[in-house]
Amino acid sequence: MEDQATLQSAVSFNLNGEPVLVEAPFGERLSESLRERCGARDVKIGCNAGDCGACTVLLDGAPVCACLTPTHQVADAEVETPAGLARIDRYAQRLTTAFARHGAAQCGICTPGMLASAVALLRAAPSPTLEEVQDALGGVLCRCTGYRSILDAVVAAGQGEELPVAISGGVGAASARVDGVAKLSGAELFGDDVAPAGAPVVKVLRSPYPRAAFTLGDLDAFIAQTPGLICVLTAADVPGENSFGVIPGFEDQPVFAESEVRFRGEAVAAFVGEAEAMRSFDPDTAPIEWREASAVMTITEACAAGTPHLHAHASQNVMCQGYVACGDAEAGLAAADVVVEGAYSTSFVEHAYIEPEAGFARVVDGRIEIASCTQAPFMDLEAVARILDVSPQQVRILPTAVGGGFGSKLDLSVQPYLALAALKTGRPVRMAYSRQESMQSTTKRHPAEIRLRIGATSDGRVCGFDFEGGFNTGAYASWGPTVANRVPVHASGPYYIQNYRARSRAIYTHCPPSGAFRGFGVPQSAIAQETLFDQLAAKLDLDPLEFRLMNALDNGVRTVTGQSFDTGVGVRACLKALAPKWRVARDAAQAVNAARVSGRSPLRRGVGLAAGWYGCGNTSMPNPSTIKAGITPDGALTLHLGAVDIGQGSHTVIAQIFAEAIGVALHDLSFVGADTDITPDAGKTSASRQTFISGNAARLTGEVLREKVLRLCNASGEATLEILPGSGRLQVLDGAQRHEIALREMPVDSDGYALAALESYDPPIKPLDANGQGDPYAQFGYAAQIAEVDVDMTLGLVTPVKFIAAHDVGRAINPMLVEGQVTGGVAQGLGMALMEEFIPGRSENLHEYLIPTIGDMPEVETIIIEEADAHGPYGAKGLGEHVLIPTAPALFNAIRHASGACITRAPATPDRVLAAINAAREA
Amino acid sequence: MIPAKFEYHRPDTLSEAVALLAHHGDDARVIAGGQSLTPMMKLRLAAPGHLVDLQAIAELRARGSVAGFVKIGATCRQAELITDESISRLCPLLREAALQIADPQVRNMGTIGGNVANGDPGNDMPGLMQCLNAVFALQGPKGGREVAARDYYEAAYVTSAADDEILTLIKIPTPPIGHGWAYEKQKRKIGDYATAAAAVLLTKTNGVCDSASIAMTNLGETPLFAEEAGKLLVGSTLDEAALKAAAKAAVAITEPAEDGRGPVEFKRAVAEVMLLRALKRAAGRAQ
Ligand SMILES: Cc1cc2nc3c(=O)[nH]c(=O)nc-3n(C[C@H](O)[C@H](O)[C@H](O)COP(=O)(O)OP(=O)(O)OC[C@H]3O[C@@H](n4cnc5c(N)ncnc54)[C@H](O)[C@@H]3O)c2cc1C
Ligand code: FES
Ligand code: FES
Repeated sequence: MEDQATLQSAVSFNLNGEPVLVEAPFGERLSESLRERCGARDVKIGCNAGDCGACTVLLDGAPVCACLTPTHQVADAEVETPAGLARIDRYAQRLTTAFARHGAAQCGICTPGMLASAVALLRAAPSPTLEEVQDALGGVLCRCTGYRSILDAVVAAGQGEELPVAISGGVGAASARVDGVAKLSGAELFGDDVAPAGAPVVKVLRSPYPRAAFTLGDLDAFIAQTPGLICVLTAADVPGENSFGVIPGFEDQPVFAESEVRFRGEAVAAFVGEAEAMRSFDPDTAPIEWREASAVMTITEACAAGTPHLHAHASQNVMCQGYVACGDAEAGLAAADVVVEGAYSTSFVEHAYIEPEAGFARVVDGRIEIASCTQAPFMDLEAVARILDVSPQQVRILPTAVGGGFGSKLDLSVQPYLALAALKTGRPVRMAYSRQESMQSTTKRHPAEIRLRIGATSDGRVCGFDFEGGFNTGAYASWGPTVANRVPVHASGPYYIQNYRARSRAIYTHCPPSGAFRGFGVPQSAIAQETLFDQLAAKLDLDPLEFRLMNALDNGVRTVTGQSFDTGVGVRACLKALAPKWRVARDAAQAVNAARVSGRSPLRRGVGLAAGWYGCGNTSMPNPSTIKAGITPDGALTLHLGAVDIGQGSHTVIAQIFAEAIGVALHDLSFVGADTDITPDAGKTSASRQTFISGNAARLTGEVLREKVLRLCNASGEATLEILPGSGRLQVLDGAQRHEIALREMPVDSDGYALAALESYDPPIKPLDANGQGDPYAQFGYAAQIAEVDVDMTLGLVTPVKFIAAHDVGRAINPMLVEGQVTGGVAQGLGMALMEEFIPGRSENLHEYLIPTIGDMPEVETIIIEEADAHGPYGAKGLGEHVLIPTAPALFNAIRHASGACITRAPATPDRVLAAINAAREA
Repeated sequence: MIPAKFEYHRPDTLSEAVALLAHHGDDARVIAGGQSLTPMMKLRLAAPGHLVDLQAIAELRARGSVAGFVKIGATCRQAELITDESISRLCPLLREAALQIADPQVRNMGTIGGNVANGDPGNDMPGLMQCLNAVFALQGPKGGREVAARDYYEAAYVTSAADDEILTLIKIPTPPIGHGWAYEKQKRKIGDYATAAAAVLLTKTNGVCDSASIAMTNLGETPLFAEEAGKLLVGSTLDEAALKAAAKAAVAITEPAEDGRGPVEFKRAVAEVMLLRALKRAAGRAQ
């Protein structure tokens, strides 16, 4: 018996109804066996620790985490994977339809796990209640949707809803996503899904210390002794610059540290080895001598006198500063009737997308090709060429589907290691970050230390505002300069402030690099400004909403940078839309609390409010997008999708705009995905710029292509186009007249198109002067949100019970996608406000680092406001980042309303809230 | 990153499993649902050379109620416990607590035996078993023995079971009809271990408490059985003052450690709230 057990490594089970025999080493996880030995890449790996549920499969009908199930434990069992279910299970088919209709898959990386869990539920309870769905999906994390669309979709599927999914309609239609089908069938390929099984694997050796000097041992001997290892890469193997960064002039992060590391998780070497051997290879066994040195982890430490400098160029560890001033802040404060002030601090926030960074690279005809998840293919291309010391033409980036980005996948991660490994070995190579590696080494939201004083006159007008913010930018620059520039422009909030001064500094520390995260520092500054606004209102005995309305920006009123807009300033409209709901909610809270007091309940209801604004596009810097489209001789109308869709739906939005401009239905379009060889540069997916900027490029491209078609047949502007793929013809109906264009007879361009257009758009901006005066953005988006919470006065526990979010999007190109962005953004704001705190070395996994689960997200009522913008395509504005700006301050204001506790530190974990409640009682 | 060189055994009988453990000594470890062991192996907190899988052993899966005891085989899964109506009727506390453990996927694999044998102070079942005064049956090369749950836990991950002993069965004295029960767990999110949790089982006759048992989770290196606190309640009418006094007495024996769930004083405060809530609910349920 025993010998038999130890020798036998093959295991047989049924996979999606078919018997399989899998040869796997003992102890291999089912997730690994399914993905690499059975080709079931629909099973995703997000954490490998039972925390995220992305790997959920059905084992004899019950959902289990494949990553915690040894393959040999499933002998003779029935295993069903999401793709198998989608193919054959009737519940899965209903669910995928409902998911598409409800926009329940954004990036789609959590979707397989959600679907598997939901199928198991529907089999047991065909028409589940919302609570039953919540319980059944409790073990699957989603970072994009805020869960509500998923809950709705599963409940709807249970009620037998099988309405067809529309992929049609132009601007304003709640069309299903154009890229939705693959996300629901399990066919979508993310960063770790493209490499062939068996490709050599790259693993990085990282620093266990925040600051240390090191000496590498005899790595050649180590390679020779370790079976399966092919080679090692260190700084010596970097042919070009051993540095990268995202902002020209700030490329300060080495691919491999050379003699000293500046943060825990910094790369010092990478090993390439055969796939089987790398499964058990641990880079920490490599010979290296570490000499730990004392590290500076906070802004205060880094700025203290005598602290060593992380980088020679940054005296006092100040990486860069930002400044905006108008009027005279001190004089304004001196003239104020009431002044409030506060000191605030926030934590590192981890993006925690469910897909860790991953990719695949190979050398093709002497060029390097990298397929990986990314938000910025053209930036990757430039950066990799610089590291390899080759011309950009020698690099091709093929973005895979992105399982969540939120800003962090703008920076390089796996790309340089993959490129160097492919070049050195001459073989195709792959790598996927472990969850810990992803959390240790990629960028975070900047922790902020903010001091703010605001004064107002007794008539309720803000008359003086003095803001000072320090931002912990970690060991390397990344997007720190952007944060330093954006914050002073936005710290006023969407209000008219005559006398204003805002200073920001980004400070180097021995922490992981802080970079871009939805909002670039603005969510942090909004916490200070919006909670102090509530305190000011209280001192002035004004209703918080009334007070905000009194100070809100308007068309024609200048912002703190002296910019004014003729149209599109929508904050007042947002606040007004909330006004009736605000009064109802505040009154209801009063009634609820009265009952609770008499019933001796420890709970108190609170209702809070906050507003926010956000400039779309780069701050006072050009950031063009180019969009290409063409009609093939066959008659297909093809749109090149150069912008990366990270789940927010930009492919769909851009396609809807293009379809509207050229005058066809959305389903008439075919697409070619982002590929730096064939799609022009649509810029990075960040700064909420894709709808606005790439959208405008798509509109121009559509208009130009339409013009070309109409001119060919002399048709009027009213004519309609009929796309007939495969026919070789294009029909134009102009009133009673029917024109036919014989496409096959036309000459084709270098892309093979009979007709094509390529247009660019760059928003009009003006640089900021020394006082930060100028036109930093061509448009702002605006928002205001209400948060209703219950606070347990004995536990410090805050439970959000409802959000009402009013968002001015200029024009909702796709209302379903708008709602998806809003709910997802609110969820991230909730996480930042109440639970998320990344501590290097302590919370480098998804059980210590908490993100909202399906049980944490209450209903979100979205109110779409459309104050058309002069520059936006059809009036549309960006949205992606605006959504989470008001959420944290609205929650903090609600906590204060409920309990009297004044929250000045994010996240407001229960212990901090309880301490603040006790402090408020004593005061 | 599971060590490459280890071997896996899937015996069909308990005696084979015991023999395997005896043969491989320190180098062997049993695996049940793997929901605690697999993450530990990944983090190299555990690196056994031989894994002995208990899942194929039919006799370890049986459960039922016999002669005044609810008996639960070690490899009974948490999800099975939740859906077992007869056990839930006899001892509703088990279901109430099991529902607060982890998430559906983990409960579908994780076993009761693994949960109590693991020795992690964060596990919920050990405190529960102390509250219920359960007895664990162990089987080793030298035969079988029984250890009371209240004597089983020595320190974090250290129990009174020897490395070559397998926990085979959990025996719970069936609580009297009309007993009151409650499990109160404060956690930060779905799937989280407790910041503090309290289990309470009590009985009363004519409004006077005649037995009370209180235990706590994740407030020390081991689960904590608050014997004195329970005694304080006996003879009382379970009035507010008595419940408060019992909760205070229970909090007095806690030794929480500061971690991501909060500082020590906060945990004590949460523990007191959990205890009071559990006591109140149990008192309200007792007939
Ligand atoms: C995401 C996540 C969240 C979780 N949350 C919670 C929670 O909130 N509360 C909670 O209580 N638990 C929680 N757990 C742990 C879970 O309940 C485990 O299932 C349980 O602790 C162990 O059961 P198992 O069958 O998986 O044991 P295994 O992982 O197989 O084994 C655990 C340990 O016990 C030993 N062992 C197992 N069975 C026996 C036996 N019969 N005799 C002797 N030794 C044995 C093993 O050798 C091992 O050392 C969580 C787990 C995960 C992954
Ligand atoms: S990958 Fe299995 S739970 Fe995250
Ligand atoms: S859609 Fe759920 S994680 Fe992206």
